[in-house]
Amino acid sequence: MTNESNEIPVLSNCMSRRQLLFRGAAAVTGTVLLSSFPGSNGEALAARVTTYPRLAIGKLSKLNVNEPGWFVYPDKSAANILIKLGEPAGGGIGPDQDIVAFSQICPHMGGPLGGTYKPNDQALGPCPLHQTSFDLTRHGMVIAGHATESLPQIVLELDGDDIYATGILGLLYGRCDNLKS
Amino acid sequence: MSRKVTLPLFQPSDKVPLPPANAEVLTTCCDYCIVACGYKVYRWPAEGPHGGMKKHENALNRDYNLHALQGNWVGPNQFTQAIHKGKLHNIAIVADADSEVVNVGGDYSIRGGCIAQKVYNKDKPTKDRLKQPLLRINGELTPVSWELALDAAAEVSKHVIKKYGESAWAMKYYSYQFFENTYALTRLALKSINTPAVSQHDHPSIVDATPGWTDIGYDAFSGSYEDFANADCIVISGSDPYETKTVLWNEWIMRKGILANKAKLVMINPRKTMGVAIAEKHGGLHLDVNPGSDTPVHMAIQRIILENGWEDKAFIEQWVNNFWETDSGFGQGTRNTPWQWRTTWGHFQVKGFDDWKEWLLSQEESKPNVAAKIAGIDPAKLYQAAEMMGKPKANGERKKTTIAIEKGCYWSNNYLNTVSIGTLGVILGCGGRSGRIITRLGGHQRGGRSGGKYPTWKSPYKVGGRRRHRMDLDRWVQDGHVRFAYVVGTTWVQAMCGSTELADVFRKSTRGNPHQIRSADRAHVIQTLKKRVDSGGMVIANQDIYLIDPIGAEFADIILPAATWGESSFTRCNGERRIRLYSKFYDPPGDAKPDWKIVSMLAKKMGFQGYDWEEPNDVFEESCRFSRGSRTDYNVLRTIAKRKGMKAHDLLRDYGTEGLQCPLLLDGEKILETKRLHDWQRDDLPDTGPEGVSVQGKNLMAFKTQTGKLNLLKSPWAIWSDFYDYMTPKGDELWVTNGRINEIWQSGFDDVERRPYIQQRWPENFLEIHEDDARKRGIESGDMVRIESKRVPVQKDFNLGVKSDDMFFSGLMKRGHIKIVSGSFEAVAIVTPVVKKGVVFTNFLDKGQPANSITPRVPDPMSMNYRFKLSSGTITKIGESPYKNDFSRMSFKRRNIV
Repeated sequence: MTNESNEIPVLSNCMSRRQLLFRGAAAVTGTVLLSSFPGSNGEALAARVTTYPRLAIGKLSKLNVNEPGWFVYPDKSAANILIKLGEPAGGGIGPDQDIVAFSQICPHMGGPLGGTYKPNDQALGPCPLHQTSFDLTRHGMVIAGHATESLPQIVLELDGDDIYATGILGLLYGRCDNLKS
Repeated sequence: MSRKVTLPLFQPSDKVPLPPANAEVLTTCCDYCIVACGYKVYRWPAEGPHGGMKKHENALNRDYNLHALQGNWVGPNQFTQAIHKGKLHNIAIVADADSEVVNVGGDYSIRGGCIAQKVYNKDKPTKDRLKQPLLRINGELTPVSWELALDAAAEVSKHVIKKYGESAWAMKYYSYQFFENTYALTRLALKSINTPAVSQHDHPSIVDATPGWTDIGYDAFSGSYEDFANADCIVISGSDPYETKTVLWNEWIMRKGILANKAKLVMINPRKTMGVAIAEKHGGLHLDVNPGSDTPVHMAIQRIILENGWEDKAFIEQWVNNFWETDSGFGQGTRNTPWQWRTTWGHFQVKGFDDWKEWLLSQEESKPNVAAKIAGIDPAKLYQAAEMMGKPKANGERKKTTIAIEKGCYWSNNYLNTVSIGTLGVILGCGGRSGRIITRLGGHQRGGRSGGKYPTWKSPYKVGGRRRHRMDLDRWVQDGHVRFAYVVGTTWVQAMCGSTELADVFRKSTRGNPHQIRSADRAHVIQTLKKRVDSGGMVIANQDIYLIDPIGAEFADIILPAATWGESSFTRCNGERRIRLYSKFYDPPGDAKPDWKIVSMLAKKMGFQGYDWEEPNDVFEESCRFSRGSRTDYNVLRTIAKRKGMKAHDLLRDYGTEGLQCPLLLDGEKILETKRLHDWQRDDLPDTGPEGVSVQGKNLMAFKTQTGKLNLLKSPWAIWSDFYDYMTPKGDELWVTNGRINEIWQSGFDDVERRPYIQQRWPENFLEIHEDDARKRGIESGDMVRIESKRVPVQKDFNLGVKSDDMFFSGLMKRGHIKIVSGSFEAVAIVTPVVKKGVVFTNFLDKGQPANSITPRVPDPMSMNYRFKLSSGTITKIGESPYKNDFSRMSFKRRNIV
């Protein structure tokens, strides 16, 4: 955290990790400037690439629109939602760019978001503790409420019919490092 | 539809270092909304060592990872780095999990939770903080020394005061940014210079925000947060605390009130906001009124209560003035109080309860059907509301009803709305009892302390037989009377009504003047600015933490860089009058100095005595005696501190984030706090009366009138209806109202532009529009729209009204005091069921696209408050915003998903 410049390493969620690797040494050193991706305008801060586990979490052929599934990632104490929204979404994978996954723990004070998916709004929430809601079409952005980061988004990758979790955007509630439990 | 694949704009780190067990811990409070949650600042050297995940390895006293509600989580936005004593440190700013008051257990809002990102950091978006004084030379703001900048300000000031009188020297400043600063600023302007040309950030004059309550006898901040938890019915008007008082809502209204105490809410608001949706889900009621129509709604509810005999008869008997008590004046003189002045027109005064009741029942607007029609609501809701507020319980006990209002109520029809909701409070027995209070919810924290008395007698606004008005500074500027303006911590222009017109006036008198500085030569600078003012122009010195456009970036000649929260120790009260110390924990950027320090330097250069403050505690201790008798009386802190041989700041620091609830009184060595004002059942005050420096004001155990009892007043719709008719949408216009949203509430001055996390949510101004209104205009979510009015009324000069009708809008029009101007702003449309049909809603103050460009600059003639919430205009689609098809910024989802 001593590096406070804008050249903080970033993981793209619109490319597979292999694509990232093919781009060259960037992923190896962990630094890719965001401006190299379409649509990002280069004005964003960046996220950190870490060596996350690559874990098969579901199959494309089994997903139906608005029927949430859940899985644990990166370890068994972190519950997440996997959902096919039925309309394109930020970070969405699959032929319709509509399959996304998010942490099910509210990043405000750790409230459980399981079972709060709202199909009409493609939203998760409101959190039963303090009523924060999140827009799953827009990278888990807060719709209304108190969380100080978006709902952490699980980076997904499609390989044939298999859906893999390959990383996390943001810090999971209650942790100081996503990979330490 | 093709959408660009994007990343989120804000991608936080997925690791945050923990403070080590030996990290320094300092206490502070959030800098933003009035609730002022307690926070702890953890500070340790940047190079570490950092803390570990075991409880004994970190200063948070937690075993990581945390489970729900444990508190003390350090998220990415709670961490930053800052320079302390010249050396880089890690800083974690975390809601105080040990807190037993306000934010119990360490709850926090999105704003306070991100407050670490407010801290100056040269590598972060706060890097554009003002760091040194600037002077506009050849049109460019150029760094200069403090010496030169203050010489210029002082010499021009002295010249203006000597040649044109002190009324030509104006100060526009914030009313809230800590006791030390407001005391210093007002000491200079009001005591030393003694100018009447002073106004605060949100009004054209120094005004009373809730004058109806003042006339009735209610203090605006009489309650305690626990009163919300103890009420059976909570009436909330013109605000949604879910959006704007986060932790008051979360902890005291929602958790302890709605859920634990089964409180039912009546919410009066044109929008079905999240708080309204939650209230409805738990048996509450939404009165979805048209903007500005509250008074008839209050009157109709009063009528239903009276007709059913649900009024609190015992309370009225004990606490309402009869005719003799109202009329006698009790030594204050019948014409020397704001209330008596307002009532000399005979529109408001009554002869006690029976007379008031008779008047109310005779009013057409108090008939539920009539009121419902004006408000655009179902009349059945008025009966339901009256029942919820006033109908006794099955066992005959009275319900405990609490009323809380904010700007939607008092910034539309200021005087009548505050009178009518106040009298509703009187008949419901609100005031001074647990769970039965009437209070403002509040905006900014309460950090105002006056270092001098406002010289009302110097204001030119005087009409025979009427009390003198305080000066309307906007009009004073517009009329060309201000030659030097000291602008501290406010945008001034966009924050005032009819802002487009006001900007033109400033531009003409500053940049439009031929006398502009050409070099940094001291004599030339002073000479040029003197010529400017002598030719009818104006010089502006703007003191702020960032360069503000246009007041600083375009109009000012002198820019003074201020240090702020965290960069000097300060004190302030919250909405339940709780005073806390806000610790300094890092060095100000560059050569920025706290406002109190800049004032002391400027005052000394102007030749004034008594400004030799070395540290903030010096100013605080000096300010103590000026707090005596006020609702935030903290004078005893100095007394106790002196007895203990310590500084008052350090004494308060010992009380941490809990602080002390003002007014404070002395009982031997003990400090007595005040849970609520008007607390007539209070029994902890010493029998021997006020001790030492204590002031036991009438306010403590009675109400704030000459008798200590409450006045009932009339609220005649006719004195407002002409203005309301004018402002009502015509043709294809819609009501345009405005307000705050959770994510940028009281934090707009730094976090919108400098916090990527907030920026991605709200990159530009927005406009909520109902589906039906949008469809008719071909507008979809994400479209750019223009909101325009070609009939914005601006009161251009003082109205020498003699008869009361002259003072009302139709009188002003007839007498030629109103100029009609145009204004417009642009916003991104959000098509949503949240806002009422026929009404659109936008951000209260977007500096780039201010809603105030179309708000009427015609103050309430009774109180001089602006009617910020009330405008109308046409809405036209002008294209698509970049956010319409982009996943990285803005969400168009409705905000009330329950």
